[in-house]
Amino acid sequence: MKKWLKVLLVLAVIGIITALYIYFFVYNKPHRDIEKAKPDFTMQAEVLYKEFTSQKDSANAKYLDKVLEINGNLKSVEKTDTLSIIVFSFNEGMFGDEGIRCTLLPKYREMASDLKPNDMVTIKGLCQGYNDTDVIMEKCSITNP
Amino acid sequence: MLMFTAFSFGQKYMTKNGKISFFSNAPMEKIEANNNQVNCALDIKTGDFVFKVLMKSFEFEKALMQEHFNENYAESDKFPNASFKGKIVNITAIDLTKPGKYQVTVEGDLTIHGVTKKVTEKGTFEVANGKIRGVSTFKVKLADYGIKIPKTVVNNIAEEVEIKVDVLMDPLKK
Repeated sequence: MKKWLKVLLVLAVIGIITALYIYFFVYNKPHRDIEKAKPDFTMQAEVLYKEFTSQKDSANAKYLDKVLEINGNLKSVEKTDTLSIIVFSFNEGMFGDEGIRCTLLPKYREMASDLKPNDMVTIKGLCQGYNDTDVIMEKCSITNP
Repeated sequence: MLMFTAFSFGQKYMTKNGKISFFSNAPMEKIEANNNQVNCALDIKTGDFVFKVLMKSFEFEKALMQEHFNENYAESDKFPNASFKGKIVNITAIDLTKPGKYQVTVEGDLTIHGVTKKVTEKGTFEVANGKIRGVSTFKVKLADYGIKIPKTVVNNIAEEVEIKVDVLMDPLKK
């Protein structure tokens, strides 16, 4: 085989591998698996809520996009057509309970049905911030010991 | 004070699971993101209407898009909150205690990316089964809120994104 042809073939293969790599691992890289992630912080639910209500900016800097594992006594389990939400409440505001709202991954929907108000639960999820009434956690799993 | 309390009973509606979606239709790419954690409150007497939105709660199909949205455009670490605070302009002309469909005009301050703008948009309220559902579609020009789209991606991200709001509000129980 001619030398220039070999070089061309090698370059083509490298090009294809790079393109596939970019397509699968950069452009289509998967969302973070929060359920399997190790928590960045483990704390009591009330401590998290108080940090956000007392110093929103520093709490945002510390907790936004972080995986948190929080535990506490739940106030209620809210269910909509598609969402199941564990509610912790630490305050009564103009619009009712204020605290932490944890949206569960769909697979925990059934497990949430067994929970009763005031049950002690441990929830792991992704912290998305504080909207002036509640701290919002997403992609949550129930990790009770 | 007592009279005021009695008066305000049953006139506030709210949800903490409102939906806001946005769509960017650029020549090369269609992008959609959904947020199901929107706080929304409405006073049907005064017409006060408030939204609180967390930017990080927008979910994209592709993780990379979500990352770019949060890091390059919305700068969600710097500006985690968006909000709308306004009024139903024609509140005295409609009676939201009666079931039915009502056209409304909403006017107020929209804050995105740390920039506040006066906006006026149209929408619909539907009163049924003791709940009020508010729906609206409108457009937001990214440049108005200081969100810059680099030239290299003008074919991937629209200058104007379409925002869809869908909130099903329950009466506030005290």
